[in-house]
Amino acid sequence: MKISLNWLKEFVNLKNVPSEEIISKLNMCGLEVEDEVNQIEIYKDFIVAFVKEKKKHPNADKLSLCTVDTGKELLDVICGAPNVDTGQKVVFAPIGTLIPKGNFRITKAKIRGIESSGMICAEDELELGDDHSGIMILDGSLTQGTPITEALNLNDLILEIAITPNRPDALSHIGVARDLAALFNIDLKIPEIKLVESQKSISEFASVEIEDEVNCPRYSAKVLRGVTVKESPEWLKKKLTNIGLRPINNIVDVTNYIMYETGQPLHAFDLDKLHSKKIVVKSTKTETTFLTLDSKERHLPAGTLLICDGEKPIAIAGVMGGENSEISNSTKNILIESAYFNTSSIRKTSKALVLSTDASYRFERGIDPAGTLYSAERASQLMSELTGGEIAKGSIDVYPKKIEKKLAELRFNRLEKILGYNIPKEKIFEILSKLGFEIVNKNDEKIDCKIPSYRPDIEREIDLIEEIARINGYENIPTVSRINILLGEKIDESKYTDDLRNIATSLGFFEMINNPLQSEKTAALIGNKIPVLNPQSADMAFLRTSLIPGALTVVSKNINVGEKDLLLFEIGNVFSKRESTIEIQNFDDFLEQQKIIFVVTGKSSNKGWNSKEKFYDLYDIKSFVESFLTKISLDNVLEDSYYHSDDRFFDLYFTKNYSNSVIGIGGRVKKEILKQYDIGHSVFCFEFDIDALKKIPLKPKRYLEPLKYPKVLRDFAFVFDSSVNYKEVSAFIKMSGSKLLKSVVLFDLFENESLGANKKSMAFTLEFFSTERTLNEEEVEKEFLGLINSVTRKFDAKLRGN
Amino acid sequence: MLSERIQIIRSEFDSDISKVSDLKDLENVRIKYLSRNGEISTLFEDLKTATKEEKPLVGKSLNELRNYATTQFNLLKENLETASPSTDEKIDITLPGITKILGSKHLLTQTLDEIKSIFKGLGFSILEGPELESDYNNFEALNFPSDHPARDMQDTFFINKEFLLRTHTSPVQIRVMSSHKPPVRAIMPGRVYRNEAVSSRSYCMFHQVEGLYVDSGVTFAELKGTLVSFAQQFYGEGLNYRFRPSFFPFTEPSAEMDITCYLCHGKGCKVCKQTGWLEILGCGMVDPNVFGFVNYDSEKYTGYAFGMGIERTAMLKYGISDIRVFFENDIRFLKQF
Repeated sequence: MKISLNWLKEFVNLKNVPSEEIISKLNMCGLEVEDEVNQIEIYKDFIVAFVKEKKKHPNADKLSLCTVDTGKELLDVICGAPNVDTGQKVVFAPIGTLIPKGNFRITKAKIRGIESSGMICAEDELELGDDHSGIMILDGSLTQGTPITEALNLNDLILEIAITPNRPDALSHIGVARDLAALFNIDLKIPEIKLVESQKSISEFASVEIEDEVNCPRYSAKVLRGVTVKESPEWLKKKLTNIGLRPINNIVDVTNYIMYETGQPLHAFDLDKLHSKKIVVKSTKTETTFLTLDSKERHLPAGTLLICDGEKPIAIAGVMGGENSEISNSTKNILIESAYFNTSSIRKTSKALVLSTDASYRFERGIDPAGTLYSAERASQLMSELTGGEIAKGSIDVYPKKIEKKLAELRFNRLEKILGYNIPKEKIFEILSKLGFEIVNKNDEKIDCKIPSYRPDIEREIDLIEEIARINGYENIPTVSRINILLGEKIDESKYTDDLRNIATSLGFFEMINNPLQSEKTAALIGNKIPVLNPQSADMAFLRTSLIPGALTVVSKNINVGEKDLLLFEIGNVFSKRESTIEIQNFDDFLEQQKIIFVVTGKSSNKGWNSKEKFYDLYDIKSFVESFLTKISLDNVLEDSYYHSDDRFFDLYFTKNYSNSVIGIGGRVKKEILKQYDIGHSVFCFEFDIDALKKIPLKPKRYLEPLKYPKVLRDFAFVFDSSVNYKEVSAFIKMSGSKLLKSVVLFDLFENESLGANKKSMAFTLEFFSTERTLNEEEVEKEFLGLINSVTRKFDAKLRGN
Repeated sequence: MLSERIQIIRSEFDSDISKVSDLKDLENVRIKYLSRNGEISTLFEDLKTATKEEKPLVGKSLNELRNYATTQFNLLKENLETASPSTDEKIDITLPGITKILGSKHLLTQTLDEIKSIFKGLGFSILEGPELESDYNNFEALNFPSDHPARDMQDTFFINKEFLLRTHTSPVQIRVMSSHKPPVRAIMPGRVYRNEAVSSRSYCMFHQVEGLYVDSGVTFAELKGTLVSFAQQFYGEGLNYRFRPSFFPFTEPSAEMDITCYLCHGKGCKVCKQTGWLEILGCGMVDPNVFGFVNYDSEKYTGYAFGMGIERTAMLKYGISDIRVFFENDIRFLKQF
């Protein structure tokens, strides 16, 4: 919200306080100043100038060549505005001036061949309004050379203050001034009301009836007769434009002015347009449509609180008025509405209509129920002054059930227990009373206070403690220099995934983080997808069911920028509904699983000047998976399955299984999937379910003594039928060997015509040893020969090298 | 017969090996005597034809021969290899080494790791919670009434009326307090979602670290001390800080913590929007209403909570001006850190 410092100073005496100190105090009391606009600084270079002569630009139809008197010199200035003319006083930006709109500096420039030494400005260029139809024409009595900060009274400091949702009272100048009064311990001055009222009572002209007392606890009104609707005077227009509001006419401007002064939203109706001169506040029973004053047709759900006249709706209560009762230039008699509406009713309406106005913003946060009449009177006084209208005698104030001020207790020791320091009682009393609290009871231990009606956020002791703490300054709360540490059990639930990340990076992988919100098509590839009720776009309408699509997107994007060799991993959650679930009603209806994915594509990055390039292949992803499992001690725990067929993602793939369930899957991503991501290279990936990995019981690690006895190695190679696969052979050798055979390692594989058609050669190294003794040559030789025999017979294989 | 041949081959071997002058000669000796079809192997083959009485004795001397030859061969091989510095070795030692690329954790993970290690040192546990949360845990129990404007502070992705993507890590507070009696001291890192238009300043998901400490005697002064210690360890000693009043429904009193902008050292720059200060986290004393939801006695226990955005922290620390960089996963970015 924009707050004018000059306006604030009408309510608190801060004449001798530097503005930096005011801003700092506001920041430190919870009214965060997000931005400040110093008019003196912004407009310091602009001056009043006199257009001495205007000629047509010789080379351009729409430009004028003006001779401008700046009070010091005569300058040639080119102007494009249609309304510029000889004899005008204008706002002039000399060379070097920074123009607020567009943030550019005026330089000497040739325009269509003629030099221009400055600029004559329009309202919007100065950000004093949005008019760009022509230049600003100033009062002829101003002297050329006068700075416009002086001529136009542009000497304000405008603060952009972020008001948190708990502080509706601060959505006005008086509200902000009240905090300043407490901060500087000075008095708050509320404008006094002096009404000149006519003899005729308001009851002769209008009546108000509340049907829905729950949603409209109070409705106050004033009536003015014989008004002249016209433009507001300069001082009022400037007050509004300074805080970013657009002046409309002297009636509407006053309602806005009072709202920004007191926080009470007001609405003015053209009284002559109200049927039966009557206001009825009620909620709709059925859906209705209504034309608001911005000329938009609104669909109102049943239960919307409306302001009606004797026969029809004339405003959406607390949100926006209707076109049918709007103030126009011919309006003569008006009714000023100053009401208090139920916060949640206004919020519901504003949400349903997706329409948030200055009024609804305040009503839904809670305005001062005790302040309606004051604001109505203050508005009527001003309107009467500005419009010449007559204020009807008295007010209408329908307030069936008075909202009483709440009471709260404050125990001094509780305050110390929360804040960790003691604030002197006198200081506490001073802060509370400056904020408008009334202390009704006090003793050594505690006080009871009456809470001001403009503070709906305050009900409890803790709320009072916060008020005292923030006004006394958080900087006065001590900062302890030692803390107690509990010696109980420390838990680190992130340790497991931290370890996985360390392993993945040690294998050369880079971590990526992808958005779990995906398109329907992507999310539908695996599992039972979960839609988002209110997505931003179709691209982000579903929760991911797998990490693969995100990974492929990253691969594709990187290839597009020329990065083709990639080792990537991600750890993240995937989501799916249970098969039986239709609507998620509790946490058992869906699965949120943590997964890790490894992605490999392109060339092995370790290529150098002395090595050949090598492309990653299926065996690389296999080896990464094996190394990963070794590091988490699961290398001999899981079973493998291999598939040479079509999966949703893969054409060649394998799984890692534990007690018959798949806990990891991966392989070569199939072409049709890659095509969807515009990837022309082979991509290999593997995804593990981390929750499943975590659950596998691990044997505690024990030290193994290094072998004391020599190992004996034997190699053999066989020619097999090409249909025989490695796993069959290696498993058979292992199974056939005695316990002295400790490992079987494939060291060569080739297919060649010399072997015969459909034949291949596999060569293995066998490792024999015992942890208890040195093996003798004969026993190894015997077993080796036996294995040669078994393999030959089992696979109809032929021993090579003989 | 066979033993004679063993003697002959042994002396032939001795003679041949004495003539060896380089590795190439040596290899010829190996092929002649020690290969699969070499002299010694042939002798083993012939052993099969020996008589039963002959076998043990001959076998033994044959084994001795093989061991002798192997040992001699190995000895000589070793001598030749070490003694002869290869004169034809032309190494350009200035050639570049072969690059070995190490992987790395995402910058956000690295930032989080640093935060975690600081809080571990301050006695905090590390706990996690789900991203798909209930409205109750995410809002209701954190003192966001269902039709309160405070809900507007966090634009939410809903799954349905009861479930949503968590908008902050604070629901983990509710989970922790509902399942543990005080004292509780933990940080709770995780991913959160906001239905905000994607721009350089905001993304529809990001990461937070939540902190919570509840015990008897926990005060705002201790909150300040703990967070100042964190900030000094994370951002460096000697920084200036301030706590400003703010509003979060689940803490009261609430505060935001600012530190001196370390780019301009408080003079005012673009990053700190000319204020000289950078907001780094939100915090406050746990609201008694929250204790009510988790059945903690708010007269007996007090506590503080805090939360910070990891992206924001990393952006400030590493000078990143566009949050989307974190989620594009451009390998050129990933490799930088």
